[in-house]
Amino acid sequence: MTDSERRTRLLRMAAGAAFLALAVVLVLIVISTSSSGDGGDTKLEDAKAVDQLLAGTPQHEMTLGDPKAQVELIEFGDLQCPLCAAYSKEILPAIVESQVKKGDAKIDFRNFTIIGPESVTAGAAALAAGKQGRGWTFVDLFYRNQGGENSGYVDDAFLEAVAKGAGVKNLARWNSERANLTAKVEATSQEAQNLGFGGTPSFAVKGPETNGIKLLGTPQSAEELEAAIEDAG
Amino acid sequence: MSFPGEGNLQRAIAFAAALGVGVAAYIAISESGGGSPVCLAGGSGCRTVAESSYSHVAGVNIAVFGIVGYLLLLASAFFANDTARFGGFLVALGGFGYSIYLTYIEIFKIEAICQWCVGSAILMAILFGLSAARLIGYGGAAEGLPDRA
Repeated sequence: MTDSERRTRLLRMAAGAAFLALAVVLVLIVISTSSSGDGGDTKLEDAKAVDQLLAGTPQHEMTLGDPKAQVELIEFGDLQCPLCAAYSKEILPAIVESQVKKGDAKIDFRNFTIIGPESVTAGAAALAAGKQGRGWTFVDLFYRNQGGENSGYVDDAFLEAVAKGAGVKNLARWNSERANLTAKVEATSQEAQNLGFGGTPSFAVKGPETNGIKLLGTPQSAEELEAAIEDAG
Repeated sequence: MSFPGEGNLQRAIAFAAALGVGVAAYIAISESGGGSPVCLAGGSGCRTVAESSYSHVAGVNIAVFGIVGYLLLLASAFFANDTARFGGFLVALGGFGYSIYLTYIEIFKIEAICQWCVGSAILMAILFGLSAARLIGYGGAAEGLPDRA
């Protein structure tokens, strides 16, 4: 084969490879656009909505928002609690958009397990996701895929699907750590009881103007929570 | 303006690929302990991207694939034959295409930008341009051909 023939063959192959690469990139983008949004292979609902809500907001352990934010809103919740799920869908997104993303406040999720043993298992799984910076995503995704109270749906497969969907990177580490976090779940439940809370979700706020922790109970609207955060800062 | 000599293209590819190895190695090392690269201008974009599910493929940090790609490109710069020219072009093409996809994911899915990933994408784009120029200018030329004027 002459140099000229070899050159023509090489350039033809290069052009073919370039077209192929372009097609692969386009297919990847199309698949990604039509997928659930988290890159995982679970069939959880609302993964995209959770991704969009929390995108760009830092998460440390179970705290969502800038760790230096002056005001801390604390949610005592039970992952099996339907009202907590409703809060997660309908009230907290407004707070995240208006105050957390701006760095005015951070939200800390603490387990207050009042419904049953499955709440403790779920809470520990959330804490383990928090160890990998996916605590809030886990909680939000869990709420949006919640089943009936104590119906047995909180099994290993469901929890792993939520962890995967939440973007927990090291599932083996998550799995081994969650077994050792039930004491922490019980500790925050005790803390909620000591504060006098009797139901979920219950909220408290801490800030420069609150002189310690201020109990909010269960505010009925995002506006009430926003006002409490503003008063605390 | 004359077409750059193959030696110059090889040196430019080696330089850009060596920078790429550094950038990808930094991303991989900073994420290996569960951390994230530090954004030069502050912000949490790098952390958000590092913590997203897109940062790993089959449990492997994608920065590791980047290191391998840049090393292959670096190796291709040391040989003046068609295997190196075409192989380098294919690696750069794959890296460039994947960088476009990842940049799309950063902007539209994760909604956060990591400067280190953007830096790597720019390096891959440059390497693609250099490797394509090398293949177009010197593909089919005999091994060790002197630089074309």
